[in-house]
Amino acid sequence: MQSSPRRGLRNASLVLIPFAAFVGLFLLYPTLVVLYKAVTPGGTLGFDAMARALSGTYRTGFINSITLSGTSALIGGVIGLLLALTVKSLRRPAWLRPTLDSWSAVASQLGGVALAFAFIATIGAQGFLTKILKGFGINAGDYGISPTGFWGLVVVYLYFQIPLMFLVTMPAVNGLRDTWREAAAITGSSAFRYWRSVVFPLLAPAALGGVLLLFVNAFTAYATVYVLNPSGALVPLQIRFLMQGNVITGEEDLGNAIVAWVIVLLMASLITMTLLQRRTLTWTRS
Amino acid sequence: MSKNAAPPADVPRHARWRSVRPASVVTSAFLVIVALYFLVPMLAMARFAFQNVPMALLTPEKLLEGWSFSGLWTALSDPGIISATKTSVLLVVFAIALNLALLLPLAIITEVHNPRLRPVLSAVTLLPWVIPPIALVVGVAATFRAAVPWFLASDFSLVPFYALWAMPFTYRALDAGLQAISARTLYEAARTMGASLTTIIARVIIPNIGAAIAAASALTAAMVLGEFAFASLLLKTTLPTEMVNYQRGDPRGGLALALIVMILTALALGLVVRSLRRRGLTVHTAGM
Repeated sequence: MQSSPRRGLRNASLVLIPFAAFVGLFLLYPTLVVLYKAVTPGGTLGFDAMARALSGTYRTGFINSITLSGTSALIGGVIGLLLALTVKSLRRPAWLRPTLDSWSAVASQLGGVALAFAFIATIGAQGFLTKILKGFGINAGDYGISPTGFWGLVVVYLYFQIPLMFLVTMPAVNGLRDTWREAAAITGSSAFRYWRSVVFPLLAPAALGGVLLLFVNAFTAYATVYVLNPSGALVPLQIRFLMQGNVITGEEDLGNAIVAWVIVLLMASLITMTLLQRRTLTWTRS
Repeated sequence: MSKNAAPPADVPRHARWRSVRPASVVTSAFLVIVALYFLVPMLAMARFAFQNVPMALLTPEKLLEGWSFSGLWTALSDPGIISATKTSVLLVVFAIALNLALLLPLAIITEVHNPRLRPVLSAVTLLPWVIPPIALVVGVAATFRAAVPWFLASDFSLVPFYALWAMPFTYRALDAGLQAISARTLYEAARTMGASLTTIIARVIIPNIGAAIAAASALTAAMVLGEFAFASLLLKTTLPTEMVNYQRGDPRGGLALALIVMILTALALGLVVRSLRRRGLTVHTAGM
């Protein structure tokens, strides 16, 4: 070996230092400043702003955001997982799997302006589906199916949640070996027993981890909801309001405190997700 | 993942399992409903964008009337849209360049030299998930706006942040590429023949991970062309923010433009993903 460990270290630091400096300057520094300001409102240590960020309209914002993200994550999680399981069990048609694969990669990225437009054209007041339903005498708005209603937003979010769940659980679903199913059958287990004792314990960590990722994904989605309902009481929209609105003294501390809570929430979700994922990896990689 | 070869189709199965399988009717119905859910909004959007008949006047007989691309052409010749498109294209180019400049050497060195850095890198590339645009924008406004006002005044101040958020996608794509070509073995082979590290990177490794680099770039481009929150809150004019503006005055043209941008992005991403799959590369396009 020509390369001494010292040389390797030098090469590593040569590329690591610019990278670390970059992440530090543009990601960690602004974040730490916000976190610091959140717990030192008005310059002195205190949890005043942090408490205010969870009261009144801001509490409503957090509750709404968590409900919306949670609902869309659960429904999207179930449908996405079912889709992955269905696709695995199908060998024909041959084009189905690669198509779904590519489509999911694309659709999971689609949350944004275009998606909001698409749903305005579908379930908006002048939407295509709204009109068809009206033809059957159904007023979609009565069921909350409008782009500004709660269930309307869930329907919109599912458009990127389902493909994302499909993508993140497909490796785990693929990891279920056909031989295990056969082994279960040969040893006389019923199909139910196979699902309960083999599939469920193996897929549960991956599925739960996927749902948490979906939750984070929906919680931080901004463009879609901004286009559909800019005055809604959701955390991302409240952050916008505080940022653009009147810079009354103390208000920027409130903005910082809300962001601090968001980061805490996301970090907790992602750490749990990573721990769950690690459990899955131990058997999908073998 | 390479051991996932499908078993031959004629493997005998236990008869009982066949009968317990969910009826194919249910499976097909499920797939059809999911397909409809994904197709209908796109079709509705296309109708709105390209058919010049208001929804209120649309009847089944009129379904084929009034289709034209006029809305799209009007939108495409709008000076605001043209300049926002230029900005966004430049942002894409710069973000890809910066992203690759930072991550490509790091990913290669980590793979061939210092595998111990791997967990550190994975963790760092997860950070953008914890600190998404809507959260970071507050910190950026609070720090950079006061300290370096000229920086945030430029549209291109978005570049470093876009490079940052693309990292989870890029690192995973590059890493998959390096794993697939056994970069470490290639490195050691070239080393034994006396090649320098720079030569190895430039002439052995990079030419072999072209597909992964293309995937990383496509994912970055898609991310930049879709990012709205950060640009909008920092009052920058990029293609997504300008599309929202434009759509207020001309809904039909706005939707047509959004649809075309989306289709082009989807095609580019889809092509890249397919070409990667054909090479047997698993790229985590979810950025996880």
